[in-house]
Amino acid sequence: MAIIGIKDVSKSFGQKVALDHINLEIPEGGIFGLLGPNGAGKTTLIRIINRITIPNGGEVFFNGRPITQRDVEKIGYMPEERGLYRKMKVGEQAMYLAQLKGMSARDAQKELKNWFTRFEIQSWWDKKVEELSKGMAQKIQFITTVVHKPTLMILDEPFSGFDPVNAELIRQEILRLKDEGATIILSTHNMESVEELCDNIALIDRSRLVITGGVTEIRRKYGNNNVELVYTDSDGRHTEVLPKETDGTDTLRMYLDKGVQINSYKELMPRMNDIFIKLVKGEE
Amino acid sequence: MNLHITGIIISREYLNRVKKKSFLVTTFLVPVLFAAICVLPSVIMFAAKEEAKKVAVIDGSGIVMHTLEDNETVSFVNGSEYEPDYLKANMSDLGYDAVLLISPLDSSSQSVNADIYSAKPMGIETDEIISNRINKAVEAYRIESYGIADLERIMAEVKSDIKLHSYTLGEDGEEKISESGVYMIVSMVLGMIIYMFIAIFGGMVMSSVIEEKTSRVVEVLVSSVKATELMFGKIIGIALVAITQFLLWIVLTLAIVGVVGAVAGQNLFGDSDPAEMVQQMGISADQAETVAAVAEPGEMSVVMSTLGNLPIGEILVCFLIFFVFGYTLYASMYAAIGSAVENEGDTQQLQMPITVPLLLGFFIALYAFKAPDSAIAFWGSMIPFTSPIVMLARLPFEVPVWQIIVSVVALIATTAVFAWLSAKIYKVGILMFGKKSTWKDLWKWLKQN
Repeated sequence: MAIIGIKDVSKSFGQKVALDHINLEIPEGGIFGLLGPNGAGKTTLIRIINRITIPNGGEVFFNGRPITQRDVEKIGYMPEERGLYRKMKVGEQAMYLAQLKGMSARDAQKELKNWFTRFEIQSWWDKKVEELSKGMAQKIQFITTVVHKPTLMILDEPFSGFDPVNAELIRQEILRLKDEGATIILSTHNMESVEELCDNIALIDRSRLVITGGVTEIRRKYGNNNVELVYTDSDGRHTEVLPKETDGTDTLRMYLDKGVQINSYKELMPRMNDIFIKLVKGEE
Repeated sequence: MNLHITGIIISREYLNRVKKKSFLVTTFLVPVLFAAICVLPSVIMFAAKEEAKKVAVIDGSGIVMHTLEDNETVSFVNGSEYEPDYLKANMSDLGYDAVLLISPLDSSSQSVNADIYSAKPMGIETDEIISNRINKAVEAYRIESYGIADLERIMAEVKSDIKLHSYTLGEDGEEKISESGVYMIVSMVLGMIIYMFIAIFGGMVMSSVIEEKTSRVVEVLVSSVKATELMFGKIIGIALVAITQFLLWIVLTLAIVGVVGAVAGQNLFGDSDPAEMVQQMGISADQAETVAAVAEPGEMSVVMSTLGNLPIGEILVCFLIFFVFGYTLYASMYAAIGSAVENEGDTQQLQMPITVPLLLGFFIALYAFKAPDSAIAFWGSMIPFTSPIVMLARLPFEVPVWQIIVSVVALIATTAVFAWLSAKIYKVGILMFGKKSTWKDLWKWLKQN
């Protein structure tokens, strides 16, 4: 079942149309990539799901019924434009944000202590945010997004601002939350992380939904039907791109008969990046 | 509105401020400063006293010199043994600060010319003393020329010194001693306090909105709570800070006055001349006289009884009502403006339409005591943008109940409308990054939802 259903949602700001009749289903569980160039309407769509912005038309469904203000307690949102109160102590601030998500003070305290222990940052509890480095503050930001155990997490460019070590930590946490059954909407420009993390995607360009579906299907669909063969003979290692056949046995036998050593034979999948550029350019 | 969530926001806004050192410092320091202001003028006056100026006088008329009496600021020496030019040239060598030349008496106009020469300006006070003395001498000469016998005794008998005792009549016909000087001061203080509270705490709301926007925490917040809950939680939280501070000031000031009163044997104003105090505060001379009259030693009781006659309960209740709604009116507009900018520097232009009515109210309030029932004071206390301030300044002069009710109702209605409009602007504004907004943008946002 879809955790989020977007039915014919439109939003305009004055004359400017930000979303034009979007229909989209986000399946429960797994990681959903929300892609699109800057200004395409991703942030507006995310804000509509979060009930920060109210659409002009259409409706958003949460677990099959129209979304209400109470449902936002089950959503964890890390916006692209994110930050914390600079003058507030880390612990107090995390407690405040957790309580705004409907947690009791006791639960919030307990859960936060767990997270602080997991990230080995217990000593930061009484520090002010302004004393932390940007990467450190991002960790706190991530904790405050997930501490209330949301069933849906919306992460807008989650890796920006992290150094490689912390980015890897967050990546692992995202995968762990996915394994625990959470649904994660990942809005990003980073196509490598899309290929690696996402199960499904939607591409939005100029206020409209361009494509949505499973990452593998989409990559296959936009493939050129080529295979890549790598073999080694007396001259060394060679790579050849060949047209794909329903059955590659004949091709392989032909090469094997030449007495070469086959290193690999695989279907060539286009990079998400190329599909992205192709679709966005093709629209123009 | 979710009350539980709004409560969490209110308590953060409140506790975060009340726990700050700066809050504690202002809360405890202001009453001390206030007490100091009461005592300081007399200290300054005492310290500012100079040595008496020595003035050499050449009296060509022969009628002035003998009437010139020395006092603390100026002493006169007969310099008629010298030539005027010699005196002017050697003034400082001879030990004089100034040379006063009085012309021979003009027999037709029965008047004299008086010129004073000094190296440094003499100062207004000294000038006034000298010209007063000369005028008196000339007047005495003129009266004498009528040749009335026994004039001095007659004049002494004629001289009258009647003081006006004011009473206000209660509805039950009860006479109460009152003194307009006291009303004036109470009126000005009330206007000033409510103006300061609205401006300071309204501004605090604006800074707080800007802080949330600049630090980018705002989008996280509005993903948990509604923007209106955030805005009103903030406004209410800061209002509670203001009320806490106000009550603490009253308690602390009473405590300080009590302690100082006990130590100084209830002689708090004993050695300070109220007239001088008033001058220090920059109030014009005719008003000063009233105050001086009120506060003459021995008349302290009149002041106290006038204060006692004030409708203190009504004033306090009105203060709270007008503060709460006046503050909410301005604070929500400040919030809307704060939502449109990303640093305090950019607020200047947007703030203008708010600052102008607020200042206007303040200035009308400062002069309300002169004519508390005049058209400007009346309308100022009715029109919602100035009414919280002007009405407070009018209150000591007994405002009809219907006027207070009309004013409060108009204020509440306006506050509701403007809070609603501001919330609409605020909702859009807090999510607009990286652009300097103008009033045109705010108008656009208003129409957007």
